[in-house]
Amino acid sequence: MKFNSFAISFLLSGLALGQWACNTDDTPAVVPVVAQTVRNLPADPTTGVNPTTGQPLGTTGRFTLYNLRDNKTVANTDSATNKWDVGFRGTTIIVNGGAIRSGQGGAYVHTGTFEEFTTVPTSATFGQDQSATSLAIVAASGRGWYNYNAPANLITPIPGRVLVIRTGDGKFAKMEILSYYENAPTTVDPNRDRQRFYTFRYVYQPDGSMKLN
Amino acid sequence: MFVSALLSGLSCFTTSPATDTLRSRGLDEVVVTATRTERPMGALPMPVTVIDGKQIRQMGSLRLNDVLGEQTGLAIVTNHGQGVQMQGFNPDYTLILIDGEPLVGRTAGTLELSRLAVGNIKRIEIVKGPSSSLYGSEALAGVINIITENPAQTRGTLAARYGSNRTSDLTGDVSLKQGKVGLYVFGNRLASGGYDLTPDVPGQTVSPFVNYTGSGRLTVDWSSRWKLNLSGRYFSERQDNRLALPDGRMVAGPGRIHDMNLNPTLTHRPSQAWKLTYRFYHTTYQTQTDLQHEGTLLPNESRVYDAQFFRQTFNRPELQADHYIRQKHILTLGAGYIAESVEATRYTQRQRFGTRYAFFQYEWLPSARLNLIAGGRFDSHSQYAGQFSPKLSGRYELTPALALRGSVGVGFKAPDFRQLYLNFDNAVAGYSVFGTEELPAGLARLRQSGQLAEILIDPAQLGAIRPESSRAYNIGFQFRPGGGTRTLSNLSLNAFRNDVRDLIETQPVARRTNGQAVFSYLNLSRVFTQGVEIDAQFRWQVATDGQLTLSTGYQFLDARDKAVLAQIDAGQLFSRDPQTLSSQRIRRGDYGGLFSRSRHMANARLFYENAKQGCSATLRGIYRSRYGFADRNGNLILDDANEYVGGYILWNLSAAKTIRSLTIQAGIDNLLNHTDALFIPNLPGRIGYLSARWVMSKRKDVSDKSI
Repeated sequence: MKFNSFAISFLLSGLALGQWACNTDDTPAVVPVVAQTVRNLPADPTTGVNPTTGQPLGTTGRFTLYNLRDNKTVANTDSATNKWDVGFRGTTIIVNGGAIRSGQGGAYVHTGTFEEFTTVPTSATFGQDQSATSLAIVAASGRGWYNYNAPANLITPIPGRVLVIRTGDGKFAKMEILSYYENAPTTVDPNRDRQRFYTFRYVYQPDGSMKLN
Repeated sequence: MFVSALLSGLSCFTTSPATDTLRSRGLDEVVVTATRTERPMGALPMPVTVIDGKQIRQMGSLRLNDVLGEQTGLAIVTNHGQGVQMQGFNPDYTLILIDGEPLVGRTAGTLELSRLAVGNIKRIEIVKGPSSSLYGSEALAGVINIITENPAQTRGTLAARYGSNRTSDLTGDVSLKQGKVGLYVFGNRLASGGYDLTPDVPGQTVSPFVNYTGSGRLTVDWSSRWKLNLSGRYFSERQDNRLALPDGRMVAGPGRIHDMNLNPTLTHRPSQAWKLTYRFYHTTYQTQTDLQHEGTLLPNESRVYDAQFFRQTFNRPELQADHYIRQKHILTLGAGYIAESVEATRYTQRQRFGTRYAFFQYEWLPSARLNLIAGGRFDSHSQYAGQFSPKLSGRYELTPALALRGSVGVGFKAPDFRQLYLNFDNAVAGYSVFGTEELPAGLARLRQSGQLAEILIDPAQLGAIRPESSRAYNIGFQFRPGGGTRTLSNLSLNAFRNDVRDLIETQPVARRTNGQAVFSYLNLSRVFTQGVEIDAQFRWQVATDGQLTLSTGYQFLDARDKAVLAQIDAGQLFSRDPQTLSSQRIRRGDYGGLFSRSRHMANARLFYENAKQGCSATLRGIYRSRYGFADRNGNLILDDANEYVGGYILWNLSAAKTIRSLTIQAGIDNLLNHTDALFIPNLPGRIGYLSARWVMSKRKDVSDKSI
């Protein structure tokens, strides 16, 4: 809580936030309202596939939980806290809100470009994770954040999809998934490139407002 | 060896004894496909292409795909087999007939054209634009009718060919004519070692196969009024598949295809004004694959990797009546019933369905210059909504050499078996696919076993699935300068537009508790295809007996999805920059249209013939511009440069020399050895071949000796 009021005071002072960096000793380093890019976040990757069945091998079934404010992963033991904002496992993305979560978060998928999405409209309706099969961000090809292209055996993030996220403690963020394959190759070879590695960019607004630029 | 044979064939360009007049080709040859009555080709108001058997032999073609791939506006595309793309439509939308009767046995919509040997083909008639007004379902892009030989005289031929990839072809036929009875028998054996475009990957691109075709026809002309025709065909293939699993272990086993048809037809002419045709057609198509693991098995693994079968039957009685009134009116009426059934590994049980249909056509020739045809057909089906397909076409002669022609028509394609009856649970990936007829039961079953999480689209609200249908416009001209000595002998142009609605696509209709989807088939998309097709034929006399013919063709094609265009116009469609990975809005110009369609296709085919010297040669070039193969950047549409297969040209060469009744032919297909293992697996590299054909004829028949 200490941190948030600190950040807000800076926002109110009207500084050019983009050029600002905080290196105070007693608070974590945070650059608010600046797009961050996270590369190669593992989302329960596989050690291979069962050659006969094609089923993934070596998965743990656990989500990789992520804190957007601190731009870092959170241990699974903290899953019942507000420390995490989004979680990744395979193509499934979860948020910290709903019947099966502890926080008050939510999310929806906006169609448009990341840059153009500057403010969360007040009319926006956020979905929540109500059950393992009823998630705020639908985990199905063409209906959430990705398309599965069966002939090419490719999972590609749908271009022009912005995940609008409300965190467990009521802050807003926008996120665009850029790649599902390790090192985000320009041309993915599904036989060679490892999947379940997220590259995404996001903007987190720590002051609780709906402005995201 | 091939080169020397080619050179010997070419040697006849230099010699030129004796005189001979140019034989004018029968532009007014009779065509049956366009109207289901015998009509001169030049008088028809729709675009028709005829390929005769002699031309097929000169090209050195073995199977139907070889022939069709060289024709203007047609492309051979692969999806579970080699099919034909016409006016920008997938193979599902072109009806393939043998002697007017439909071939069945499509896999994922494609009727494998290499099932058809060409040795018994008298001619192929190609009608572009919808012909559902006469033929019903599938005749949406057009109709290809294979007319087989009939026993007009007593003769026989024997031909053998050997070429690259250990490909051998043996063909023989005998035709007997004795008084009122005629008999034609044809046999073919084709064997190939297959080929491998990716030697570093275990297993071949095309596995070795052998197939047999037998066909026959019996004709009895009882009197000038009654005629009987009985024709049949049998095809059988065995392919020895062997392929590698991702872990490098091999599975192997045979794939078998059997295909049979029988077609008795009785023709009755009670008077000059009436012709009645009673037809019965029976056909079956079956496949069987059996893949087994080689070597040691994993624990709890079955020896059988994959075993599947598919069996389809089709029976159809039909009556057609043609009424001719004073050379000015031709009225055609017809009615029939189709009984179909299918059994397959992924279907619950043997499924049957029936179609009742009736059609009419009225052809009116008010003057020598004008020809109008109006027709329509109603198909009433047991499983889906009925369909009425009208068509109106006309031709007007501005001058004896120049005619305008145009047509407006509706074509349709019925939902196929898998769209109605598929019942498939993918145990590995955890999803399910149900045909529309199976969907309610399938969902109930999942609900009962607690596997159904959510219904996305209620099947009760969907109503009956509708056939896919199209409204088509074709307009053009045909210019045929008179006299046989002009260089330009034929120039024709046809512009087309097809507006297609209710295209059936798979769509998730429910979600399972494992998070995977339940798919079914819905009438969804609206697309259009439009373009222009131009054909020109030039002829020159070379020396005194030689004749050189150049056929050139070009098609411009624009095929796009209307929903995609609407999304683009609304600014709702994006692409991902491959470098920065950020999303950007797509404009109309970025959209490359439907996948696997080339914007430009062209051909130039040179035929040389010297009947007196008994030699002939051909050089054919076929061009396809780049075409999309799959989405790679997530928006599911064709827009990025790396989603295209590059354009290419194929060159085919052949030459033949006839000495008495023996013809020796040599040829090279795909001269420049163009291959693309990933996207054009059906194209082997350069193919050389040598063949010999021996004609035994009771009467002397000069025209037949020139191959």
